[in-house]
Amino acid sequence: MESVKRGVVAFHSTSHAIQAEKVCRAIGVEVKLIPTPRHISSDCGVALRFDYCERDRIVAALAEKNVEISLVAALD
Amino acid sequence: MKAGFFATRWGIVAVGLFIGVAAALLQYLGNPPNMGVCVACMERDIAGALGLHRAAVVQYLRPEIMGFVIGSLIAALLFKEYRARSGSAPIVRFCLGMFAMIGALVFLGCPWRALLRLAGGDWNALVGIAGLTVGIGVGVLFLKGGYNLGRTYKAKPFAGLIMPLIMVALFAMLMAKPLFGRAKQVVDGVETIIITGPVFFSAEGPGSMAAPVAVSLLVAIAIGFLAQRSRFCTMGAVRDVILTRDFHLVSGIVALVVAALAANLVLKQFHPGWEGQPIAHANHLWNFMGMALSGLAFSLAGGCPGRQLILSGEGDGDAAVFVLGMIVGAGFAHNFTIASSPAGPALFGPAAVVIGIVFCLIVGFAMREKFA
Repeated sequence: MESVKRGVVAFHSTSHAIQAEKVCRAIGVEVKLIPTPRHISSDCGVALRFDYCERDRIVAALAEKNVEISLVAALD
Repeated sequence: MKAGFFATRWGIVAVGLFIGVAAALLQYLGNPPNMGVCVACMERDIAGALGLHRAAVVQYLRPEIMGFVIGSLIAALLFKEYRARSGSAPIVRFCLGMFAMIGALVFLGCPWRALLRLAGGDWNALVGIAGLTVGIGVGVLFLKGGYNLGRTYKAKPFAGLIMPLIMVALFAMLMAKPLFGRAKQVVDGVETIIITGPVFFSAEGPGSMAAPVAVSLLVAIAIGFLAQRSRFCTMGAVRDVILTRDFHLVSGIVALVVAALAANLVLKQFHPGWEGQPIAHANHLWNFMGMALSGLAFSLAGGCPGRQLILSGEGDGDAAVFVLGMIVGAGFAHNFTIASSPAGPALFGPAAVVIGIVFCLIVGFAMREKFA
């Protein structure tokens, strides 16, 4: 089985991450809140992990709902 | 050691083990009991040394605080993570810092000391940790409700160096021990000027107990360095478990307690019990409530006191404002008969905790963001 590449969205605040999770669930994209990976940012925050193929959908949905993103990166 | 080691489970465990052993050793070398490191107590001592409060037994320019900030700065510079930034609700963070300190001084310790008290056999710490957890849990509810202090913005690099420079200035004062106070004294109708502190240094009590300066400073620089690399945070640990079921940071905390416990057993510093614990009281209600206030304030501000110091070392001006709020809060706590003593809560401690909780709840509700 081909391994699924995953990505992570980081935010400026924890509440943005939580809102983003709601937004993604609402459009049917499977995501998971995780502690922000150490190499992505040193902020004491949480980030959102997702299947990288959903990247564009997630970014568009978050932009539409005005949830500000800090950065999007590939995880694996 | 490979670059990503501190991002791993073993990395955070190693940092916890190091802090635990280091704290027990600092106590063995002279720091107050179960206070090898305590961000709240040590910032309180600094506030006293500067004359922001006049509780004569808790005045000392603790080099550990300076070391945490400098160690973090060194790590951030070495690994290109130094990033001057600020601009996220400074006055709110200042007040959160003040009340976080007030809560911590009603309990008598920050989360790090709560863990160290536990590792020293002070079971009252369990009550405090329970309160801390509840406070953080309430904070997480606010986060879920859209609570947000707003984002930070990039600042000029110098802005992030101000906190480290303040630490250097404090260290200079620790070395030189200057006396800045001038007071008039009239003896037999003759007016004289006497030279006095600040800087104050306790002659007795916890403030007089200290490991050698060089040891404290070097150990704290190492802790600051490691904490910056690993983003060790007690508040974050509890929050991550509640919010994401992730136990990464918690494993660091468990490691800290285990290491400090083992070191305390070896150094004969383990004295189990509820009553008569050093620099602690056994009033369960206010141990719980004090730490609940602190936990709520930490989660609303995004980090425990240790983490805020580390962030201020890597250029976070908002964390620096929180730290200053804590130091000023320590001044109020002792000047206003709020800080507890081994005899129990002080006269106005409970009222101050209630006011703090009300303040934090208002912040939690008022600083919500509406999403479309």
